[in-house]
Amino acid sequence: MPRIIATALLLFLPNLSQAADITRIVDEHILPGYETLVAEADGLANAALDDCSPDNETLKAAYHSAFDAWISVSHLRFGPSEEEQRGFALYFWPDTRGATQQTLTKMIVEEDAIVQDAAAFPTVSVAVRGFLALEFLLYDEAMQQVGTPEYRCALLRAIASDMARTTSQILEGWNTGHAELIKSAGENETYRTEQEALRQAFTALTTGLEFTSDARLGRPLGTFDRPRPKRAEARRSDRSLRHVVISLEATRAMAALISDGDTQLDSMFADAVARANALDDPVFAGVANAEGRFAVVELRQDIDAIRQAVAIELGPKLGVEAGFNSLDGD
Amino acid sequence: MPDRRRFLAGAIAASFTPAPTWAEAGSPRYVSAARKEDGSYALFGLTEHVQIAFEVPLPGRGHAAAAHPRRPEAVMFARRPGTYAIVIDCVSGAPLARLAAPSRRHFYGHGAFSGDGSLLFTTENEYEQAIGLVGIWDTTRGYARIGEFRSGGLGPHDIRALSDGATLVVANGGIETHPASGRAKLNLPTMRPNLTILDLDGDVLSMTELDPALRQNSIRHLATGPDGAVAFAMQWQGDAFDHPPLIGIRKPDETVTLLEADLVSHQRMQGYAGSIAMDHFGRVAVTSPRGGRCQVFDGSTGQTLSNVALPDVCGVALSEAGFAVTTGHGLVSMNVGMPEDRGAYFDVQWDNHLVDIHGG
Repeated sequence: MPRIIATALLLFLPNLSQAADITRIVDEHILPGYETLVAEADGLANAALDDCSPDNETLKAAYHSAFDAWISVSHLRFGPSEEEQRGFALYFWPDTRGATQQTLTKMIVEEDAIVQDAAAFPTVSVAVRGFLALEFLLYDEAMQQVGTPEYRCALLRAIASDMARTTSQILEGWNTGHAELIKSAGENETYRTEQEALRQAFTALTTGLEFTSDARLGRPLGTFDRPRPKRAEARRSDRSLRHVVISLEATRAMAALISDGDTQLDSMFADAVARANALDDPVFAGVANAEGRFAVVELRQDIDAIRQAVAIELGPKLGVEAGFNSLDGD
Repeated sequence: MPDRRRFLAGAIAASFTPAPTWAEAGSPRYVSAARKEDGSYALFGLTEHVQIAFEVPLPGRGHAAAAHPRRPEAVMFARRPGTYAIVIDCVSGAPLARLAAPSRRHFYGHGAFSGDGSLLFTTENEYEQAIGLVGIWDTTRGYARIGEFRSGGLGPHDIRALSDGATLVVANGGIETHPASGRAKLNLPTMRPNLTILDLDGDVLSMTELDPALRQNSIRHLATGPDGAVAFAMQWQGDAFDHPPLIGIRKPDETVTLLEADLVSHQRMQGYAGSIAMDHFGRVAVTSPRGGRCQVFDGSTGQTLSNVALPDVCGVALSEAGFAVTTGHGLVSMNVGMPEDRGAYFDVQWDNHLVDIHGG
């Protein structure tokens, strides 16, 4: 794309009182996270090939490990995970229109032959490609009554193999280009300055925390008059609270790198994790009663306090600010 | 950035010419407000060749200039809920007039000139009774306020003159605000946005409301297209994880077509369309600064023509080749989404809207 550079880029670089090192963020956080995900997703695909039965405990364990690995990187929504809709393909949630259930049911009833064609499978709706489609097949009793066991088995294998392929494409995208691109920020068009690379990492941190507060906790909380426990994330496989803990630990690790080891910020994360671990409510069923609800609200407040600290203290320290237009609104 | 010699030449020429034209302001095609690196704000004229035609300092973050169709005059509104607007002579940089909202009224940040440029219409809030208004100003008499009429709904935002020269279209966003509570939205559970077509006397010719399920979809920004079509961009105020359509096209026969890209691309807009433009073929470009996306649709088939990631993109307008966009990172791009795109980065943060002096 030819460009006219009309003015010299005189970049105002704020004084970095704490230098966040994008290379460390890539090498110590992003790449290891995706390496684990690829290994776990391979394990899941292989377990499905060995025995696709929903009674197969090895398969279920592989599902949980792979899902854990995904949640650990799910805040990194930029670069290769956003190309070809890969992130959405691995994880389509919240699904407010019930697309996964509807589309899965239709595929099974019609015995869509695309499950036999690995190359074509990525053309199916993202709603039936990732972890939550797998969750329906492994944990939803009603779904396990639809169609034939043979077709459901073929579909489960197709989904798991597709996920393994998608995760390896993401890692490959990082290893063959994006890691270098972000490390050499200032010398390319994608990251025109080091600040832009840092802003990308900072945005991943803030949106990850926002998602945990607004979606993972906010959706089941609903309103006081109308709590919505059935909106809890991955509740069929009892993973709702687990996602909050894993995501907090992942964003904590990233925050430590971005803030160059800010101990105060880290202790806020530690408090939130401790509160989450003490919560004896794996799928937030408690939001429907006063006591249970209060506990979830408190956890959300902890997370919102972290978000506040990140926005007000860490952001300015890094010299990254929220978007001029994206946050102003009009 | 401003070419001082040209600036002076323009100023001198202006002193000899009774009716200055945009050519004397450096022949800009667009005007846009921006924040400069030193934190100050300015209004810029931009040419189709991605060059700055003029630069005029502003007292603060302004909003959405309206550009006079012939004279080099631009209207800048104070940031919502502002009570004043200034008319700027884009040749000399001098303020030509200051528009003060009458008592109990504030501006909503958009305005439109009549086709002949004699009248300026501004969207306003009569906040004690929560009535949406359109203020009328006579540009031939120093922008004197000569009247007002009801906009047809609450929270009128964008306003455009249709090409027939006799009608206006107003996006009544449906959201009630009061200056005492800043930009807080006071009526989300009961909001009812609409698109209202009025004649220049304020008589309502038609009013379009969407399906009740889309009641919380605030109709905010407008673009006019061929054959009386109006494209509108919406901002969803309901559940952030629902993703209703954000773009509509209203035809003169009052039919409405809603547009959205595929499931994932649409979700990337994050329930927020910031600006919209429509070309003579009926193609519609819409930006989402929240999602960092610009999407272009074929308005008649609904097909997505391009879908580009652009951080903090917001301003969009027609260009010679397609659609021009601006971003909060300083980019001005003249043919967004196309391989032969031409653009440049400036050391400024472009504000929400890129105003096309040619209208549209």
